[in-house]
Amino acid sequence: MTLKPPPLTLALLLAALGVPAALLLGLLSGSSGWGWPSEEILWLIRVPRVLAAFGTGAALALAGALIQLVTRNPLGDPHVLGVTSGASVGALMMLLLAPAGMLLAPEIGAVLGALGAMSLVFALAWRSMGRGLAPSAQPGTVIVLLVGVMIGAACGAMVSFMLSMANDFQLRNIVFWLLGDLNGAALWWPVWAAVGLALLLAWPRAQELDWIARGDAWAWTLGVPVAKRRRIAIFSACLATGAAVATAGSIGFVGLVAPHIVRLTGLRHAKVLLPFSALFGGVFLVLADTVARTVIAPAQLPVGVISASVGVPLFLMLLLRRRA
Amino acid sequence: MSLRLEKLRLNAGGKPDGRVLIGDLSLSMNPGERWVLLGPNGAGKSTLLVALAGLLPPNAGSILLQGKPLADWPGEALAKQRAWCPQFWLDPFPVSAWETVACALFALQPEQSACAVERTARHWLTEFDVSHLADTDVRMLSGGERQRVALATACAQGAPLLLLDEPSSHLDWSHQALLQARLKVWAAEGGTVLAAVHDLNLAWTLATHALLLDGKGSAVHGRREEVLTAEQLSAAYGVPVSLREENDARWFRIDLENSV
Repeated sequence: MTLKPPPLTLALLLAALGVPAALLLGLLSGSSGWGWPSEEILWLIRVPRVLAAFGTGAALALAGALIQLVTRNPLGDPHVLGVTSGASVGALMMLLLAPAGMLLAPEIGAVLGALGAMSLVFALAWRSMGRGLAPSAQPGTVIVLLVGVMIGAACGAMVSFMLSMANDFQLRNIVFWLLGDLNGAALWWPVWAAVGLALLLAWPRAQELDWIARGDAWAWTLGVPVAKRRRIAIFSACLATGAAVATAGSIGFVGLVAPHIVRLTGLRHAKVLLPFSALFGGVFLVLADTVARTVIAPAQLPVGVISASVGVPLFLMLLLRRRA
Repeated sequence: MSLRLEKLRLNAGGKPDGRVLIGDLSLSMNPGERWVLLGPNGAGKSTLLVALAGLLPPNAGSILLQGKPLADWPGEALAKQRAWCPQFWLDPFPVSAWETVACALFALQPEQSACAVERTARHWLTEFDVSHLADTDVRMLSGGERQRVALATACAQGAPLLLLDEPSSHLDWSHQALLQARLKVWAAEGGTVLAAVHDLNLAWTLATHALLLDGKGSAVHGRREEVLTAEQLSAAYGVPVSLREENDARWFRIDLENSV
């Protein structure tokens, strides 16, 4: 299979057209039908929601791309770090225990939970992130993944426990949180700030992430500070994931697949892969949320349902068409 | 590029309680010399190469590059002095062959234009007879083709000291011939080569010097004539090795049938 050089200008053009188009589509659709809404609905409901959707999708896709690169694993995804599960535990705990009328209770819980899980991953795997360069040692990134998966499993058990303790009304909120839903997204800007910070940290040295993906020990012999790059990338990914989960709950699929779809278009180098994954993830989630809001209007579906049911066939189609 | 090992000790995995692979090894490798690294499976060939690349601190003794301990070299300066080509490559994501080679150039010569880097990368692919696959995804290459891309990558780095882990693996005869020719040119231009090899006939052709590990902590090293003898090879590998001499050349034969 011949790899063509990435069509960067075309990609930039598509992004310049696609991003505003998706945002506009999101703004024009609502539970009451299509069309330009009243000023009040536009600024108080539609704009924050579309921006929250874009930021969440961008954060998850960026986190997925970073994790795939530093763990050298195409199956890498924001969930494997356990941050999503930690945030879910925090949010659910607040849903169950917070005094009635407390503002932003699940969001605060999610931030705290994400930070807790993230500190745990870093505390347990800090040394491993610098290790595993000598071929005989156990690869450090495998340990990071295993630590993340274990934290995720522990959090999963806590989620199940809380589900069994909740009453019917709480259960409904919890399920929506676990499915991933933008309906309750209160603030749109924290996730944008997280994406910006993550890009600021990881992007300037993105090229080195490509070399690490090709061989971490080999990248070290080229003078790349592998341990430092890994830690920065994993920290950025945790930050973005935590913010995304706090905004919209646990949305699957985007983080795993957005980077692969971007790669399949030929944008393979981390320097372009990271920003374009973020753009693609953002556009994708805005569109998925638009469908979620309108398909059974006036009721709304959780966006997680749409993102997987649209995304899976899209990804499989791209993958199989390429292989043929 | 001179590399000196002083009373070097290496344990398996670099662990203090690991099996001793190399007990007490002192030698120096100088520009123009081509060393082959021989020994049975698990004798520590890869571990030694990894340690010489700076990836694994020795358990005792020191490794001096240009008289300076390896650990004191900053990463980028070291990358300009030695290139390490591992035995296995895992390619998780699509990347073309020439881009793989270009990695080393981008890392070490950021001032070069993208065009110049691509030209150098393609030049080294031509040197190893894989230029026709320059734009192919490395995950689609055969074992021998991937190995040649790896060798091109190591050479493109431009570091005089080449540390090659089984560079002849998966290579057919004509490309083994190509490999030894390229490495001879490399050394003649002032480089130093250390390559782990299993084929004794290739080792003889390739080498000016040899280092033979026995896997129990001791090692024989010196000029190839002194190391590649029937007696020493038989003892190290535990199989009967016989050799025939013909105008300064040696032909090795291993009696596989009668060695188990």
